[in-house]
Amino acid sequence: MNARAAGARPSELRFLDPAVLARLGTLELKARAVVEGLLSGLHRSPFKGFSVEFAEYRQYLPGDDLAAIDWKVYARTDRHYVKKFEEETNVDCHLLLDVSASMGYGSRGITKLEYGALLASSLAFLMNRQRDAVGLTTFDDAIVTMVPPSARGSHLRSILVTLDRTTLGHRTDVSKPLHVLADGISKRGLVVFISDLLDEPDRVVDGLRHFRFRGSEVIVFHLIDPAELTFPFDRAARFRDVELGDEVMAVPSVVRQEYLDALNAAVERYKRELGSEGIDYRLIDTSTPLEFALISYLSTRGRRR
Amino acid sequence: MPAFLSPLFLVGVAAAAIPIAIHLFYRRTEPVIDFAAMRYLRRAPVEHSRRRRLRELVLLALRVTALVLLALAFARPYLSDSVAAQSGAATLVMVDTSVSLSAPGRFEAARERARRAIVDAPATHAVGLVAFAQAADVITPVSQDRAGALAALAQLTPGAGATRYRAALQGAADAFNGRSGRIVIVTDLQQSGWDAASDGSIPDAITVEVEDIGAPDTNLAVTSLRVEGADAVAVVQNYSARPATDQVIFAVDARRIGAVPVTLAAGASVEARVALGGVAAGGLSASITDRDGYSADNTRYAILDESAGTVSVFAITPTGHPSEALYLERALAVAEGTRGFRFRSLGGGAFSALDPAALEPVGVIAVLATRGVVQRGRERLAEFVRGGGGLLVAAGPDVDPAILKEALVVFINIRRPPRVPEPLSFAPDDSRHPVFRVFGGAGTLGNVGFSRAVRIAAPATASIIAHYSDGSPALVEERTAGGRVLVFASDLNYRWNDFPLQPAFVPFIHETVRYLASPRTSRTDYLVGDLQSATTPGVVEMQGRHIAVNPDPRESDPARMTAAIFQAGISRLNAAAAQHELTAAQQQEDRQFLWWYGLLLMVVSLAAEGIIGRRLG
Repeated sequence: MNARAAGARPSELRFLDPAVLARLGTLELKARAVVEGLLSGLHRSPFKGFSVEFAEYRQYLPGDDLAAIDWKVYARTDRHYVKKFEEETNVDCHLLLDVSASMGYGSRGITKLEYGALLASSLAFLMNRQRDAVGLTTFDDAIVTMVPPSARGSHLRSILVTLDRTTLGHRTDVSKPLHVLADGISKRGLVVFISDLLDEPDRVVDGLRHFRFRGSEVIVFHLIDPAELTFPFDRAARFRDVELGDEVMAVPSVVRQEYLDALNAAVERYKRELGSEGIDYRLIDTSTPLEFALISYLSTRGRRR
Repeated sequence: MPAFLSPLFLVGVAAAAIPIAIHLFYRRTEPVIDFAAMRYLRRAPVEHSRRRRLRELVLLALRVTALVLLALAFARPYLSDSVAAQSGAATLVMVDTSVSLSAPGRFEAARERARRAIVDAPATHAVGLVAFAQAADVITPVSQDRAGALAALAQLTPGAGATRYRAALQGAADAFNGRSGRIVIVTDLQQSGWDAASDGSIPDAITVEVEDIGAPDTNLAVTSLRVEGADAVAVVQNYSARPATDQVIFAVDARRIGAVPVTLAAGASVEARVALGGVAAGGLSASITDRDGYSADNTRYAILDESAGTVSVFAITPTGHPSEALYLERALAVAEGTRGFRFRSLGGGAFSALDPAALEPVGVIAVLATRGVVQRGRERLAEFVRGGGGLLVAAGPDVDPAILKEALVVFINIRRPPRVPEPLSFAPDDSRHPVFRVFGGAGTLGNVGFSRAVRIAAPATASIIAHYSDGSPALVEERTAGGRVLVFASDLNYRWNDFPLQPAFVPFIHETVRYLASPRTSRTDYLVGDLQSATTPGVVEMQGRHIAVNPDPRESDPARMTAAIFQAGISRLNAAAAQHELTAAQQQEDRQFLWWYGLLLMVVSLAAEGIIGRRLG
């Protein structure tokens, strides 16, 4: 079956399927594959820091920005040189990854946790590459692990190792860890919240609002499995809650519409209430390539600058 | 104690395994899917598994219950009256004390055989003593007291009762009270003893041993005494193989009025006639002096009573036209003189309009139809029976059970519709019942063929005196404080049977009508055993009037059977008893109606299952 037949957009063809990506080697390799692939496709870097630091001179090539030509050097040498800068930032990026038991669900070869970890590692890789300080916190109903933000190149490995060792936790309860984290952030920064949001929306929005109150930008990646998005089951079955273990009996053809209505209502509510707080909300289907999530991030990051 | 009329249907209980199997099958194949977004799924109309499992179990229980109840209902349960059996073996010695033991030396021989049987009984056996004639009389109950049994045996004397083996054996079986063991029956094996039918059977765990004491080879008996015009007529029967001579002495109130010498050929009977000489009332007796035969049948008694008259019979027919009761009218018309009948047929409407005084001289009302019998007529019928009248109901096609039920609800209950079984015959349960006595057993009654018959559900107070060959009641009697009711489970008008064309029809009608009319016509002729207060032959005063009590004339016949035939009779008895037991069980089951409650519970279970099942989806 080719991609076109599957209904994929042409731009998707060059991206890696998350399920395939999940089977690659280390998390670093996966993150690198995603980020390098993404960046190689972009014509120019969209990132610009608040300050720049001189890196080197390079001879002007057609296509370079004329504003980047160092006219003083031209006066001395009669040649066009372009001044290269290394971007640096004063933004702390906090990656918050939900590791509750519900994140262990996956119907197409990759769980939401694996996808979230991959997303978090890609973002960390990307942020580290642009010299942003990046930290990682995993949580379920409490904070599980926490790696403080840092822009050092070696720091990336700490984050990736932490992500690699992440295991599923208990039930989802985002309110408490979010408030704890928000209180612990002393510097305004960027908070990337990766979760399936299977919690009370009021509690989720309230926790994220706390970050906004502290002056941080917030991006929410709402991970959802394709099976959760479409409820494709056809036979009557007992559905067991992966967090609580209790079961309900349902005939999919009977309950599907009610389920989808409830899901869509929750998504709409998140969109509406998080949007009103200035929080960027992204619904991510775990069957879609990670690059789309990264592009979402980059666009948000670009707007911030 | 619960029992089942059709226990084979209990196999249907196995059907309860079907819903269990389905339950287990679907429970095994129903997949379990781990799912994360349960918070959205729970908002849909789903069933929590724990609650669903509970409901499924309730549903399963209801389905199983429904199937079990269905099987139980088809098995037709009823509560039997059987009691707990006692343990231990026993020997029960039965001593024949009937008329036939009154021959010289016979009872002494019987007593000696019985004594030996008691003494020789196995040491581990308890011992009981029963005297029997027309019924069993437990002299000493089954116990270890053999001395008591021997002492009681020494006091036994022969009586005037007739031999009824069935009743005696049934009484003996009851005396065992569930034990196993043996019956030693000391008897002369009189052939007529088997003719007298009654319910009864011997359990398989009880063996019967016969001690045959033999019988005299000669006997003379006065078998009949009647009044014909101005004469008294006695019939003397010679039951021996030798000629015999004797003298019949007639007396009224112990005053001799004449003696007639008789000479009888072997096996012959003669009539001895003497003029009453104007004596119109008193106790009449006719005696012979037969010293070698049974002594109890040497004298016969009768009552001279001018008041004994003809019986007036009303027949209720569809319109009252005599042709609608043609056979009944013709049968009654052949009787003459003081034994005759006055017959009148009338429609239901005319009967209902009758003045109560018009029924006072009526002895018997024969209900051949209920058309036109309005409420007033129904009340007349009930009053008539309460007043001592006899009611004969021929439950033919013109009789509506509902009307009779309303009129005589305390007496009899008839269930319709009539069924069309294999051609049936009928036979009396007790050939000594006054209705059947004249036939000397089933006799020609067995030739009557029935194409249709109604099912009669007799109340416990009624007695079934004749059965169809399929075991269902044919003639049911209800004796009330007033009169008698006989319900014949077919018609008397040659529609559902050929009875009116049979020779037995006329005597049957005569005897039936006389029996029904007897409370009003002051019956004066009884057999020993008919009345509890009259156990010896003679003229007895009872309730201000005199009655004659005589031994059963058939008891005078010394004809015997072999022990093998007797044992074979016991086998037949068991077979008949099984049929009777089945019939009794059917009647009990009919009365209790437990299957109906079972079906009702099944419907409730299914309704509950439907409701819960619909909620479960």
